[in-house]
Amino acid sequence: MKRIIIADDSATARMFIKRCLQIIGLGDVEIIEAEHGKEALTAAKAQEVDLLLTDLNMPVMDGETLVKWVKASPKLGDLPVVVITSAGNPAKEAQLLKLGAHRVLNKPVSPPVMLDALADFMDE
Amino acid sequence: MIEHNPLYQSMINAASQTLENMAFMEVMEHFDRSHEISIEELAWNSLLINDPILGEIRLAMSKAFLQKLTGNIFGIDDDEITQLQMDDILNELLNTIVGLFLTNLLADDQEYKMGLPELGADELPEVDANTIVWKLMTGEEDALQIFASGASLVALKDD
Repeated sequence: MKRIIIADDSATARMFIKRCLQIIGLGDVEIIEAEHGKEALTAAKAQEVDLLLTDLNMPVMDGETLVKWVKASPKLGDLPVVVITSAGNPAKEAQLLKLGAHRVLNKPVSPPVMLDALADFMDE
Repeated sequence: MIEHNPLYQSMINAASQTLENMAFMEVMEHFDRSHEISIEELAWNSLLINDPILGEIRLAMSKAFLQKLTGNIFGIDDDEITQLQMDDILNELLNTIVGLFLTNLLADDQEYKMGLPELGADELPEVDANTIVWKLMTGEEDALQIFASGASLVALKDD
């Protein structure tokens, strides 16, 4: 079973992402919820993870810092990271993609947008 | 000089898209421009815009509407709804609305920075000359109001 980490300080946002995953056919995955980047990073290091979905604006460790830590880690460097944010714009998106993020999506994410972003992941 | 799109419509589009995607609710301008939400019934929060303009956005609605939204979004009955869930919904709504508002408002290559939403305590700050108010409602006539304040933000207001 695939394992996905959802990092967002909002329970509402995490619930929306889970609902989106279910709608696009990813209901049968193990979801690990994290309230900030540090919690997500700890969870990713503790077990095999297939995908990381993260918000940008979070307390303790933000999403941009999380991307940097993941991409700098020998163990996690290949982990696909999709950033889902309300603070995104083309300049920020380019910056995150340069850091190694797989995709950057703007909230509120609709199922078709999520499906398009995760197409590669679902084909594996 | 900041290159930007029409401010008033940018906010309406942001609120409309957010409520539609998150709660499957249609949002439009309120038919009664003098409509006010009762102070005793008010739930509100605020969020700072820190760059490239300084400003504050506040979102306000009645507690009854917030409870209804929370029930719809989480898919739970009224007696299962917690204050924490209602606070979280309000914050996520504002966070998403402001992000979309800035994306709609600013030019494509303009980066922006916004803070985290904070729940409001007591009464809403008074509306002054440096405040823009959007009075909106859903298809079921539940009212919500959005306030934008800050001189540099309000200066972008279209005539």
